[in-house]
Amino acid sequence: MAVYKRSYRPYTGRLTPAWSRFFVLTRYAMRGMFKSKFLTAIFVLSFFSPLICALLIYLNHNPTILTMMHARHNEVVSVNGEFFLGFLGVQGGIAFFLTAFIGPGTIAPDLANGALPLYFCRPFSQAEYILGKLCSLFYLLSFITWVPALALFAIEANLSGPGWMWEHRSLAIGSILSSGIYILMISLIAMALSAWVKWRIAAGALILAVMFFLSGFGAAINGVLHSNIGFYISPGALITRVCAQLFGTDSPVNIPAGSAWFALLAMCGICLMLLGKKVRPVEVVG
Amino acid sequence: MRANDQVVFENVSKFYGDVLGVNRVNLSIPPGITSLVGPNGSGKTTLMNLMTGLIRPSRGSIRVLGIRTDNPEELFRYTGYCTQFDSFPKGFTGYQFVYSYLRLYGCAHGEAEELTWKAIERVGLVEPARRKIAGYSKGMRQRIKLAQSICHGPSVLVLDEPLNGLDPLVRAETIALFRTLADDGMHVIISSHILHEVDQISDQVILLSNGYVVAEGKIRGVRSEMQEHPMQILVRCNRPGALAAKVFEQDSVVEAQIHKDGLGVLVKTKDPDKFYLLLNHIAQNGVTIESVAPADDDVNSVYEYLIGSEEAGR
Repeated sequence: MAVYKRSYRPYTGRLTPAWSRFFVLTRYAMRGMFKSKFLTAIFVLSFFSPLICALLIYLNHNPTILTMMHARHNEVVSVNGEFFLGFLGVQGGIAFFLTAFIGPGTIAPDLANGALPLYFCRPFSQAEYILGKLCSLFYLLSFITWVPALALFAIEANLSGPGWMWEHRSLAIGSILSSGIYILMISLIAMALSAWVKWRIAAGALILAVMFFLSGFGAAINGVLHSNIGFYISPGALITRVCAQLFGTDSPVNIPAGSAWFALLAMCGICLMLLGKKVRPVEVVG
Repeated sequence: MRANDQVVFENVSKFYGDVLGVNRVNLSIPPGITSLVGPNGSGKTTLMNLMTGLIRPSRGSIRVLGIRTDNPEELFRYTGYCTQFDSFPKGFTGYQFVYSYLRLYGCAHGEAEELTWKAIERVGLVEPARRKIAGYSKGMRQRIKLAQSICHGPSVLVLDEPLNGLDPLVRAETIALFRTLADDGMHVIISSHILHEVDQISDQVILLSNGYVVAEGKIRGVRSEMQEHPMQILVRCNRPGALAAKVFEQDSVVEAQIHKDGLGVLVKTKDPDKFYLLLNHIAQNGVTIESVAPADDDVNSVYEYLIGSEEAGR
């Protein structure tokens, strides 16, 4: 019996804005991450370093304590580019370790469970899926890197006065930009490996291996060819160069800052391309 | 019927590299229950993926209720898809599974919650909804997948092997649900291997083989067009021998065989209408006819004639 009468009525209620839908994935991914006690513990521990730094900044401005320590202003710690570079170096290490731990869990389970067709039979695109997953890592790592760095900047500005804040605004901008590109790079590497290596432990190990292997391989190329070309395949070296430019410090990586930016963005592009190949509603085995 | 009420394939082909998915498919699927039938690798899932926009055709165009399948924002307002294999994000409960997809669809929290419970209730999973899907039986998994596909009220419901793993009772309930949805005007497009069920539930069938549509339409219509296979009709009567002798008066009858139990004749005829007229005449001349029933106008026979021979030939 064919049916020509339509008494059925589809959903016609109000919809959330299309641009905000990827947050649904972010929210679920973050909830999943914090189910791990280990991750929660590392996340809490990552605030240890900002607390120490904040304490040092406070001591630096407290005349009573400085007198007791027989020290003068700025002798405890000098809040400059080197200070922020060191701080972000420590936090970046923790962020990298966390990414190696949680990154493999971003996409691999969806692929292993064949969940992608159901995501993509909604008004939801491949780009939104990747963005949703990326944001979960970005939020988490932001709270470890540039957010505490900005908090330290704000504390120092508060204690030193508005003149200091304006004079050293490049430190705040540098913290945001250097953390941003670093988070973007390690998150995309982790997600790309998570998409290609479905076994979570192997993917985690591979994230560490890729970073260290590329750095080692880059150094070997530099050694053999007596050039700086190896720096271009070393994510660590590229980040170091970019940070040195942003914080106005010296860098052991002797390549132009512009080309380091370009190489980092190219790495991100390659990761996105790898993700695009795997994050598809239907996997076709040729 | 307007084209906007149909799922229309126009000369659609899909190739995966050198491998053929489907080729030169021209279809118009009206509302009601439509079954895609064919052996493994015949192109059923490819056809479903094409109509849900999950893959793009290599050639041709597809419109679902007038909407192009490369317009996902609009298309997925009107389609619901239930995959063949389990596709559950890790660690979700049945409720979370349906709710999260409604949020992705664009429903706000309150509406998503309401629609989730409605869909869960409709598939009869209210009690275990708060339990993790990992602990569900095969039948419960099928039903929760069905709930996620109907939760947003789609107009076109695409279900890949939806009856797999269901016990007879749940199977009957699920078929009844499909019937209700179809009677309300929804397109319910199902792929299935279980031919007698396809026969029972479908308004029309699409038979696929090696990526080609070999037949489409109402199953009896398809059967009547297969001239090379004479129609088999089982006539139950008190004098099968006399009946068998009489039917050969007609040229279109190619075979008459006394049934194993001796209480009927299985007749093969190229012209069933003419044969039924002859039966009237025979009945008026001393043979008591108890029943007349076509023996091979079901999906099973059509499948066997159209696809079985190809399969055997391979």
